[in-house]
Formats: sequence, structure tokens, C-alpha cells
Amino acid sequence: MTIIHFQFLSAILFSLGLYGVLARRSAVLILMSIELMLNAVNINLIGFVAFRGFGQEIQTFGQVLIIFVITIAAAELALAIAIILRIYRNKNSVNVDEMNILKG
Amino acid sequence: MTNNFSLLIPEFLVTGLAFLILSLDLFVSEKRKDYLVWVGVIGLLIILGITLLTFTNGILYQGLLVFDDYTNLFRIFFLIAGIIVLISSNEFVKSNIKYKGEFYGILIFTILAGMLLSSSSELLTAYISLELLSFGLYVLVAFDRYNMKSNESGVKYVLLGAFSSALILYGISNIYGVLGTTRFDEISLMLTSIDDLNPFLILGFIFLFAGLGFKLSAVPFHMWAPDVYEGSPLPITAWLSVGSKVATVSLVLRLFCESLLQIGNEWQLIIIVLSVATMLIGNLGALVQKNIKRLLAFSSIGHMGYILMGISALISVNEDGSVSTEMTVLVINGIIFYVIAYAITNFAAFVSVIAVFNHSGQDSISDFAGLSKRSPFLSLVLVCSMFSLAGLPVFAGFTSKFYLFNAVGAQDLLWLVALGIVTSLISLYYYLMIARQMYIEKGADSAPIKVSSSIRIILMVLLVAMIIGGGFPSPLMDLIQLASEALIS
Repeated sequence: MTIIHFQFLSAILFSLGLYGVLARRSAVLILMSIELMLNAVNINLIGFVAFRGFGQEIQTFGQVLIIFVITIAAAELALAIAIILRIYRNKNSVNVDEMNILKG
Repeated sequence: MTNNFSLLIPEFLVTGLAFLILSLDLFVSEKRKDYLVWVGVIGLLIILGITLLTFTNGILYQGLLVFDDYTNLFRIFFLIAGIIVLISSNEFVKSNIKYKGEFYGILIFTILAGMLLSSSSELLTAYISLELLSFGLYVLVAFDRYNMKSNESGVKYVLLGAFSSALILYGISNIYGVLGTTRFDEISLMLTSIDDLNPFLILGFIFLFAGLGFKLSAVPFHMWAPDVYEGSPLPITAWLSVGSKVATVSLVLRLFCESLLQIGNEWQLIIIVLSVATMLIGNLGALVQKNIKRLLAFSSIGHMGYILMGISALISVNEDGSVSTEMTVLVINGIIFYVIAYAITNFAAFVSVIAVFNHSGQDSISDFAGLSKRSPFLSLVLVCSMFSLAGLPVFAGFTSKFYLFNAVGAQDLLWLVALGIVTSLISLYYYLMIARQMYIEKGADSAPIKVSSSIRIILMVLLVAMIIGGGFPSPLMDLIQLASEALIS
């Protein structure tokens, strides 16, 4: 286990998330893909904190960064689900291809 | 080490005001909720006074937040812009929005986020402020619950916003991992001390730029902007096009000036490409729009292109390799003046559109036909703001374009300036189309439009500001000069 394993794992997870955002048609699945990207960020940070050989203070800062990422990701997901629920109530569908009343 | 928390007084007060409005909303009767907006306006006015009186320089939390003349300029800007957007949304909210207190409360939180963004000088702090701004805007965009357009634009905004913040975070994690710091000044130090750029560092900066490009709606990350602008409630469209853009520009400017000037040659080309694409697509896309919100969305994309043009011209390396700050200060002056003039002008345009919408409930361009007969005052303000956005003389838009293009031209990017002037000429076409609708076409409806006195006063202030900013910019330029010197030192 070295730092490069973490970086590759995180890059692969991030790319999977990116692919999901671009390819999925359901708004909820897009949200899950975004969550995957945020978790890739966390794995990246964990790798750097554990194996990069930073000093104590910088390591602590990295851990704080991870906690903030988790917290903000949770808040963001809750908000997004609330908005998606709203459109589901009005429209009975969360397919992003059907969201086409706004176009120029 | 003790922290001088008195530096944060305006931010604390704005937070308090937002909570005050949210809790008043619980107690007052439905009829009295219309007065909540005035609580917000008076509160912001008092906070503005306190900010002007108690300003001191300083840093907090070992440099996570920096308070200098730059911060202060943008703080004052956001407080004034907040007052304008609150007053102009009053009538719209009365007739279209059900939960008034929450609307104003969340709006005030986004003002707070703008103030924090201009003072944050560390990537995590900046990211959290940016999320505070975005979270507020996600809710506000989707606030018109039973309106399908508002719902749809909310979903589009929240999905792409969350996506862009994931990009920013991946960028931040790589920058942290390679450099071991996320403070702007330390990033600058680290970048000068390393010889070759680590690929993960380059990846980090590219993701950071892409995420910020989403927030700025720079091409190719602009697709969300027209849809979101069209669907959201009109005052929020105004606030998106002014508040969120200026806040992001204030962050980007600090990031580039404080941490990335040293490696300017590495990123200059990326920003130039973004700027060219943004100017062209923003202004060409606006040509075919039928809805005034979409048209103003594309126009604001075009204006972001000019600002990116300024950012690409920030670096200036002398023949001997040393960095000259004199020219950089000129460019920063140009950018700050440009965003302020853009904000004033865009507010004038949007507030007059809001006034028309309050009367007719329509927002396509053909509904503005014959406006000069129905309300000469509104059409005068709208036509002046169109001229100012296009950059015709006398108005602030011209003077700010002149300053910015002049500074960029002096940095050996004349061809970029020429492209900017050509795209401004293109933009003149679609701005004049609106003027043609108002003054030449005959409208179906000829009933005069009643404009409430509060909106009338706001529009007059904005019109005067537009002309003073164009004719006598020197007092404002002195303030901006102080701000940009604080940024570069």
C-alpha cells in the first residue's frame, strides 16, 4: 500500500462517477454518481494524509478537510433530494431527458 | 494567539438578521409578512453603516480570512446589492411567492456568503463560502414550488452545481496532497520553490478551474445558465446574474492574484481559450433568443468572457523575468470596475423587467412591444441599461470596458481586445432589438404600466449610478485602486 494506490483508486472512482453523471438519465442516479465523486475525493485525501509524510499539523488539517467534505456532501445530497422530490410530485418522473420545458 | 473577532461584526450581524427574519416569519400573521422585507432592508442599511464606521484591516484564524480594502469594497458592494435585490423583489414576492419569510431569510444568507467569499484566502474556506452561496441559490431557484419551470431549473441547477463542487473538491484534494497547504499565500510560496509541476498538481488546478468555470458560467461549462435563468423567479434571476457572478469573480481574482501569479505562463493560455469561447458563444447565442431572461443569461455569459479576458492578462513578466506589479494593478482595477459597472447595469435592466413582469406576467421580448407608450420611464431605464451593457459612451458600461480593454491591450494581448470589441459590436445588435421592440413596434396592449414608488426610486438611483459611473468614475476608481493594491501587496 503506497500513496499511488490511493491516487489511482480515487482517480478510477472519480472517473466512474463522472461517467455516471454524463450517462445516467435518472436524477437520483446522477446524484449517486456525484456522491461517488465526493467519496473519491475522500479516498484521495485519506491517502495523502496517511502516506504523504506530512507533519502533524498538515495531517490534522487534511483530516479536518475530510470531515468537511463528508458534512457538506450530506447537506448537498439532502437539498438535492428535496428539490428532486418536488419535481417528482409535480411530474411523476425524475428522468432528466423529460425535463425539457426550458429551451431556447 | 488571540483572534480579533470584531473584524467579523458585519458577518455576525448579517447572520443574525437572516435568523431574525426566519424566526419573525414563525410568529407574525400572514398579512404582516409583507413587512418582513423592510426589516431586511433596514437591517442591511444599519449593517452597511456599521461596516463603514468600524472597518479595520486584519486577519483571522491564522489567515483563513483576510480583511483588507479589497474585502471591504466587496462587503459594501454586497450589502448595497442585497438592499437593491430585496426592495426590487418586494412586489414580485407579494404576488408570486408563498413562503415570504424563508425567501428573504435565505436571500440574506447568500449575501453573507458573498461577503465571506471576498475575504476568504484559503481554499477550504472559499469552498464552504461558495457552497453557502450555492445552497441558498439552489433553494431560491426552486422556490416557486408549483411552477414547473422553477422546479425544472432547480433540478438542473442543483445537479450541475453539485457536480461542479465535486470537481472543485477533487482539485482541492490534489492541491493539498501535492503542496501540503491550501492557503493562497503559501501556495504561491510553494509554487515558486518547486521546479517542475507534478502531474497531480496540474490535474488539481485544472479541476479547480473547471469547477470555478461552472460557477462563472464560462464556456464550455455554461449550459446550465440559460435554463436556470429562465426558470427561476425573476428577482432570483437578477441575483444569480449579479450576486453569484460577482462573488465568484471576487474569489477568482483573489485566488489568481495571491497564489497563481508566479506560474502565470502555465495557465494563461487556458484562460485565454476559455475567454475567447465565452465571449463568442455568449454573444452569438444571445442573437436567437426570444425570452428576455434567456437573452440576459447569454449576455451575462458574454460579460464573463470579458472578465476572463482580464484575468488572462493579470500576469506581466518583464524582459528580465521579474514580475511587474504596476501593470497587474491596472488590470485588477479594470476587472473590479468592470464587475461593478456590470452589476449596476444588469440590476437596472432586471429591475425594469421585474416591473414589467409584475404588471403583465410575461417575459418574452415581444411582450415589450410598445413599452415606450405604456411606461416611458421604464423603457428609458431599460434602453439606457441596454446601451450600457453594449458599451456605448456616457454610461458605466463604456467606461469600464475602456479601462479593462486598455489595461489588457497594454499587456500585449491586443488581438484579444480586438475580439472583445468585435463581440461587443455583435452584442449591440441584440440589445438594440429590445430597444426596437420598445420604441418602434406597436404592442397589442396599450394600458399604462403602474410602477410602484420603491421600484421607481431604485431605478432612478441605478440610472444615476450608471451615468455617474460612466462620466465621473474617479472617486470610485480611487477606492478600487486601494482594493487592488491591497490584493497585490
